[in-house]
Amino acid sequence: MCKVDKIIDETPDVRTYRLIMNDPARMETFKWMPGQFVEFSLLGHGECTFCISSSSTRPGYFDCSIKRAGVVTADIHSQLEEGMDVGIRGPYGNWFPTEEIKGKNLLFVGGGIGLAPLRSLIQYCIDNRKDYKDFTILYGARTSADMCYKEEIEEWKKNPSLKVILTIDKPEETWKENVGVVPKILEEVVKPAVENTKVITCGPPIMIKYTLVSLDKLGFAPKDVITTLEMKMQCGLGKCGRCNIGSTYVCKDGPVFTYEQLKSLPDEF
Amino acid sequence: MSVFIVETDKAGLQKFYEEIIGKFETYAPVEKFDKYDYKKVSNLSECNPDSPIETTMSLKPLFFPKTAKIMKFQEDSSGTTLSETDEDPLAGSRVILGVKHCDARGLQVLDQVYNWDYIDTDYQKRRINTVIVSTRCDKAGNQCFCTSLDYDVENSDAHDVRIVNGLDGKIYIQGVTEKGEKLIKSSSIQQPASDGAKDELSKHYKAFDASFRLKMNYTEVNAKLQKLFDSPEFETVSSNCISCNTCAFICPTCHCFKISDEKIKDTGVRYKSYDSCNNGYFTLMAGGHNPRPVKYRRWRQRSLHKFVYYKERFGMNLCVGCGHCAISCPVNISIFDVVNQVSKIMQ
Ligand SMILES: Cc1cc2nc3c(=O)[nH]c(=O)nc-3n(C[C@H](O)[C@H](O)[C@H](O)COP(=O)(O)OP(=O)(O)OC[C@H]3O[C@@H](n4cnc5c(N)ncnc54)[C@H](O)[C@@H]3O)c2cc1C
Ligand code: SF4
Ligand code: SF4
Ligand code: FES
Repeated sequence: MCKVDKIIDETPDVRTYRLIMNDPARMETFKWMPGQFVEFSLLGHGECTFCISSSSTRPGYFDCSIKRAGVVTADIHSQLEEGMDVGIRGPYGNWFPTEEIKGKNLLFVGGGIGLAPLRSLIQYCIDNRKDYKDFTILYGARTSADMCYKEEIEEWKKNPSLKVILTIDKPEETWKENVGVVPKILEEVVKPAVENTKVITCGPPIMIKYTLVSLDKLGFAPKDVITTLEMKMQCGLGKCGRCNIGSTYVCKDGPVFTYEQLKSLPDEF
Repeated sequence: MSVFIVETDKAGLQKFYEEIIGKFETYAPVEKFDKYDYKKVSNLSECNPDSPIETTMSLKPLFFPKTAKIMKFQEDSSGTTLSETDEDPLAGSRVILGVKHCDARGLQVLDQVYNWDYIDTDYQKRRINTVIVSTRCDKAGNQCFCTSLDYDVENSDAHDVRIVNGLDGKIYIQGVTEKGEKLIKSSSIQQPASDGAKDELSKHYKAFDASFRLKMNYTEVNAKLQKLFDSPEFETVSSNCISCNTCAFICPTCHCFKISDEKIKDTGVRYKSYDSCNNGYFTLMAGGHNPRPVKYRRWRQRSLHKFVYYKERFGMNLCVGCGHCAISCPVNISIFDVVNQVSKIMQ
């Protein structure tokens, strides 16, 4: 069991819940890698899958950023308050290849709530900054209000060793950054160098789809593009049979896959 | 595999059953309205372990209950407390009589998914504490096709004890596993089988094997299906399905489940209950995205999970050829027909 330590309103429909385990000894030993997820229970309402959106390089707590999307997430938003208990199982699943991307330029491409798993990796990489080379974050949302982690993004922008590019879908009066969908900005503004670069991307299915097309156009090899998949899950333990794509269990073999791996799966996600 | 065999006659077999029922918690096929299901029995007259008719439901619920309480919780001012449910995942040992070998094989197949990575300890406990006594069918049923699949029915080690009604009029009781051998040795049936017993067993098997209406070439079907993900045939074969999920619930190997909570005031329970990939909402995600929004995609998943994916992942076919699903389907869909028809379109 965990206590909700703090609730941060990110956007009109996303909130970050900062969680601390009730048992301090367990909190101490609770370790996870960026990209892993937990099964989060609001008891009596149900259980949902969320990635941990903070990094274990910042110990003592962990964050889940939750978008109001269905029955349980709506109950979480309306009923879960600071100081209340939630049930947590995990961490489950595989993680971003933090070793393999060492010594590489990193390009993060996120959309909407898709920044949540990337944030965990971004924090991890910032805390191990010397292991990684150039660092670019492209983040897009429908409107400026839909951007998550606004304060943290401001800090990233101030950090001279990070390049942060923001975009929203349609112009807004006070918006001074880019306007346009993520794949377009990727091609026209970011124009990333392919050499020695790994791309890590997460966002809504439609953004992923076109981002993959753009990355292909820009010359990125499928093995250098890493993403995390969302499939309906229940057990997170490779038992309930819900998350399968072919013989792959997304909950155990994923959720992190390279584009190369995704191409070898049956087209059913 | 143990080759411990004793021989007896009808009366001896009855005695063997009676002794077991007297000594252990015993389950066996019980008739109701001409159909059979496994029930707990305290007397041989209540059941028919030698029924030629297969049970409607598989053995599965005795190991993986239809609905299980997996956790309880209680809220008060200091927070939420979790506790185990009072449900007993079987502490003592039990014997199941009258099992068909396909059903026993079903458990062997389920073991693969339950014992990889995270181990389902309730399931495992029930497995370890159960002795399975199977009776080899004399004749195949109309929808049976177990001998066409990827396992050796004749030498199956999925059961602990196997009973065969020899063509010579004798009844052979074979201990297949150590557990089974022990069970036989603890009974009063001790007449060691004569030298010809092995021949009799294989003669019986030959006659049984010859009685099948349904046969398929498994290797070929498996190889073809691997390449037929995009086959339009899935649409044809599934068009009659009414997505009632009966086939999955009664299948010995289907194991998809859902987790749900129920809460009244401050107390609640978490349940784990059967679910099925034939459900339209099985993969429906919040926000409306559904990778399998139409029936043929769900039937494709069902067929390929059974005949390709599970085999690839765990080395066993996820269909044991029992025909339960074809018998109970309200619109007469049979997985045998489905996989054959789909693979037929490829030369
Ligand atoms: C690996 C992974 C990481 C995720 N990380 C996040 C995150 O960081 N933030 C966030 O807001 N969302 C995340 N999601 C999506 C989140 O799990 C769903 O939005 C959530 O389960 C919806 O629950 P609901 O009860 O509100 O929806 P309902 O539609 O009412 O769903 C009922 C049940 O179905 C299951 N379910 C429904 N949709 C999904 C889905 N998309 N994925 C998995 N299970 C689902 C859940 O068990 C849920 O309780 C993630 C999903 C996965 C698979
Ligand atoms: S039993 Fe028949 S109708 Fe019901 S879900 Fe299975 S195939 Fe469809
Ligand atoms: S799919 Fe049908 S034939 Fe195959 S094991 Fe399940 S119930 Fe038996
Ligand atoms: S979530 Fe249950 S098998 Fe993956």
